[in-house]
Amino acid sequence: MTVATAPPVEAFERELGDPREATGVFSYARCNALDKAEAFPDEIIELVNAQGLQRHYVPEEFGGALGEFPVVLDLVRAVARRDLTVAIAHTKTFLGVVGAWVSPNTSMTHTLARQALDGFAISSGMTERAHGSDLVASEVRAKEVRGGFELSGEKWLINNATRSRTMSVLARTGEGPRGLDVLVVDKTTLRPETYRCLPKVRTHGIRSADISGLAFDGAFVPTEARLGRPHTGLETMLKGLQLTRTLCGGLSLGAGEHALRLTLDVAERRRYGRVLLDQPEAVRTLADAGADHLVNEAVALVGCRGIHAISEETSVVAAVVKYLLPSRTDRMIADLGRWLGVRSQLVDADTDGRFQKLARDHRVIHFFDGNTLVNLNMLVNEFPAIARHVATPYDDEALRIALDPGRPLPPFKMRSVRLVTRTGSTLLRALPDLAAGAAGTPAGPLAARLLDHHRRLLAELADHQPPGVKVPRHVFAQAERLTLCWAGAAVLGLASHADPPAGDPLWTDGLWQRAALGRILAALGEPTGRPAGQDHELVHALRDRLRNGQSLSVLPHRVAEGVGR
Amino acid sequence: MTTHPTPTTPPAPQDDLESRLGDPFDDDNPVGYAAVLAADEQAVPLVAGEHLLDDWRFNHEFVPRSLGGRWSGTDALARRLRPVFRRDPALGLGYGVTSLMAAVNVWAAGSTAQRRAVADILLGGERIAAAFHELAHGDDFLHNEFTARITDDRIVLAGGKQVINNIERAGSLVLFARNGDTPDPGSHSTLLVTKRDLPQESMRYLPRFTTPGLRGCHLGGIVVDDASIGHDALVGAPGQGMETASRAFQVTRAALPGMAVGVLDTALHLTHDFATDRRLYGHVVADLPHARATLAAAFTDLLIADCLATAVSRHLHLAPRATSAPAAAVKYLVPLLLEEALHDLSVVLGARSYLREGRHAAFSKLFRDLPLVSIGDIGPTSCLLTILPQLPTLARHWPAADPPAELFDTTVELPELEVSQLSVTDSAPDPLMGTLAGVSADDGPAGRLAADLTELREQCRRLPSTELGPGAGADAFDLARRYTLLLAAAACVGTHRASTGFTGESAWLTAALTRLAARLGHGDGLLPDDLTETLFHELTARVDQRLSCDLECAPVFR
Repeated sequence: MTVATAPPVEAFERELGDPREATGVFSYARCNALDKAEAFPDEIIELVNAQGLQRHYVPEEFGGALGEFPVVLDLVRAVARRDLTVAIAHTKTFLGVVGAWVSPNTSMTHTLARQALDGFAISSGMTERAHGSDLVASEVRAKEVRGGFELSGEKWLINNATRSRTMSVLARTGEGPRGLDVLVVDKTTLRPETYRCLPKVRTHGIRSADISGLAFDGAFVPTEARLGRPHTGLETMLKGLQLTRTLCGGLSLGAGEHALRLTLDVAERRRYGRVLLDQPEAVRTLADAGADHLVNEAVALVGCRGIHAISEETSVVAAVVKYLLPSRTDRMIADLGRWLGVRSQLVDADTDGRFQKLARDHRVIHFFDGNTLVNLNMLVNEFPAIARHVATPYDDEALRIALDPGRPLPPFKMRSVRLVTRTGSTLLRALPDLAAGAAGTPAGPLAARLLDHHRRLLAELADHQPPGVKVPRHVFAQAERLTLCWAGAAVLGLASHADPPAGDPLWTDGLWQRAALGRILAALGEPTGRPAGQDHELVHALRDRLRNGQSLSVLPHRVAEGVGR
Repeated sequence: MTTHPTPTTPPAPQDDLESRLGDPFDDDNPVGYAAVLAADEQAVPLVAGEHLLDDWRFNHEFVPRSLGGRWSGTDALARRLRPVFRRDPALGLGYGVTSLMAAVNVWAAGSTAQRRAVADILLGGERIAAAFHELAHGDDFLHNEFTARITDDRIVLAGGKQVINNIERAGSLVLFARNGDTPDPGSHSTLLVTKRDLPQESMRYLPRFTTPGLRGCHLGGIVVDDASIGHDALVGAPGQGMETASRAFQVTRAALPGMAVGVLDTALHLTHDFATDRRLYGHVVADLPHARATLAAAFTDLLIADCLATAVSRHLHLAPRATSAPAAAVKYLVPLLLEEALHDLSVVLGARSYLREGRHAAFSKLFRDLPLVSIGDIGPTSCLLTILPQLPTLARHWPAADPPAELFDTTVELPELEVSQLSVTDSAPDPLMGTLAGVSADDGPAGRLAADLTELREQCRRLPSTELGPGAGADAFDLARRYTLLLAAAACVGTHRASTGFTGESAWLTAALTRLAARLGHGDGLLPDDLTETLFHELTARVDQRLSCDLECAPVFR
């Protein structure tokens, strides 16, 4: 890819300052201190607002800067790479407002846009104490009264519930799944005796964040507060979640890159009398983690481009990203932590306690915006469409846009998001062609094995019977395999469509592509051998990026801290 | 199918730690979870717990019977301490188990007088710190910098040790220090130091190290500046430190993971409690197949971990010249099994696994504690590096012979362990691995793993000498990894044969071998529905009757 101008994330990084400078507003040391004190990072959030991240949560048509999702992905990742708590606290506003963008345009749309642009936190009131991810079981009730609704009940375990000005509340206005509405509740308009903020919940990680709740007792909201047509609240939430789940990829990528940078730095040291980077077992550990990170990046990038290129398949994309990235990043962090030993567990010594903090923080990503099982379930629901449309031709141009970072993206049509796809996944349908394209290249044999696995999986899915709520364990395993096949297609597609930086060792002889496909095949239970030197080459290519002050990315950009850790 | 769990041990005797700890869910219990979590929040030791362990004479567990203590079988030692790890790993380690890590070095190489002195310290309820770790070198002990300069009449100590449990609270310490300049095994010595013998001005403590887990532990450090002590502090000969540690830590590498099994036991009880109480999508969570399968699999893995830790702990006594690699295998594999099982259970618990409050808050504490409990003397890479150079020799010592019955029968009292008799590298037949070697290749799931062992044997024999050290390739390390998995399979097969309880049922063995086979590259490790149901029912019966989920199936939480 020839980048004529530096990507927006470089300026953003620069303005956030060097995180190693302890006295900086957004420094590692500061974030560690706030975590220990369990104090909200107000000043850092102000800095992030001053750099306009919240503008990327609002579409251009409403005065914001949300044009291209890959740009937002980069920015979220940049914040998450320094501190996940800050990233999670800030990006939650996206989920708070996105319901308005996927709904018909009303005065409320503009109100929300204005509040978000002004930097107010807007929370999303989905979950309740007794029901967790089971949104249909929501009990908070919105009784219709003259001119609006009266809300009663409790939303709990809500990010920013207390500090947000406004909350988008999923509330019951009737019975069953179609008896729900999203109401935009501006706390400044409520009579004080009709609501109260619930105490901060003490958590394993993201300790500085405001995880609390809101209890309503006859709180009045006007009719205009409802998003969309009556009784479409669940649909509104689910559509909005497709977009936030895809962007969650940026949170995991940032945390994963942070862990990898810290570990690569340690690897410069000596153990057993030799530099760790000369020990094949150490290099293997780092190479596996590095390849996992690059798989994740390909999935998130192609996913975000897919939001524009193949909008009607966002349900599949979101589930793939939100399942794969948190779970694989968590495992990668655990592997690196075990390898680092005591060093990964210290709060004050060594690297400002960064490793243990990011490890604790990252685990939360599993649980919000739909957990592991919710996302796999989404894919199980897609099995019939995927199986039926194996041979349906795909839109070649749309695929190329999704896979080639050099191509301009068409504007995203918010209201074309669908709950379930009509024809499954373009990327999966393209897998035979992508594999054929790789034939004769160093990645060819790996691509062929992946395709072979995918064919076997499709044959299994052809016999799939919709399981209802009680999804058998092996069906979840099929969904897991499907996400890995999708990831493989993303890797093959990105590698064959992107324009690599000249002379970049990560791209030489398909290096990152081979490593990434190897990890995907291993996760599918089909470990492959790897040529001598592959681990070493991959680790050194990543280390070069670290040394040159670049992101650990297939298409790198400059990072704020310049060289070093 | 209905199963009836039966405790394999007689009712709890008066000295049973579990019954003293009482019901963890009782908020008024001073050593219940409410108190444990409050101490964790404040990052202080659980005082009531420490008093309870004082009363129980915890440190007597670490002293051989012949010296007046209660240690006979090493597997029994792990089982007797497991209740405290079930309750609060920070209490177990913090009180703590590091006194054992220190003492084993003296049992391994100390003089009669030193052994008596250490026995008296522990029998008197005092702690001994194990001052081995240096942050700059991790588990690369050979490059440690703390020096013990041995002159004709004195030993001069200088340097720093970091992340040492109870360094301030202990009256004495076992210190690992360099007496030579080269990084070879003969350049290090073990010293038994009474802190009050060090000139006060020559010693200072480092600030406490804070960690996300084990917050109640006093992890500290020490800096010594040219303190002079007498030659009588030397444990064993000068330069013998590495050899001593290699013997001594075989005991803790087998025993500590055996204690840590209690962490997963509690996590299983908590997760099962959640799953049978919580409703999602119109069903109780435990009725959803994914949750059921996850619980069944984690229960299977707990028993695998216990089989391996228990068998190797007994192996120390029965095959003292062949337990170096097996002990490293326990230290490598058991923490991994426990951590991954906890992670899988967290998926069932969902957001509840992330909270430091509420009925299941102990889970998130265990999740933070476990990686630190698992660190011990060495990490996973060093464990594999203990095994790797021995593989060509080990491969010649897997006899296809029936193991001695007492290897798996925990009711048989073991001869006292003579730590000094443990060999630094294995040089005798390994009856544990022999259990698997004796299985015929066409004998079902065990047979497939026996065939893997045959293959491993061939690969180990062909390993060139260049592939036996830290510079070995990743494939060589993988052989060491496979060794640990096959040793676990052997322990499961042997335990199954000897057991009259649940592990004696073929369903359990099949489940265990299915799980291990997946880690060896056979299949995806998912249990068939009928096995899941058998395991889930056994687990449910145990949780309902408040019985432990380990091999003992003993009363807990009452």
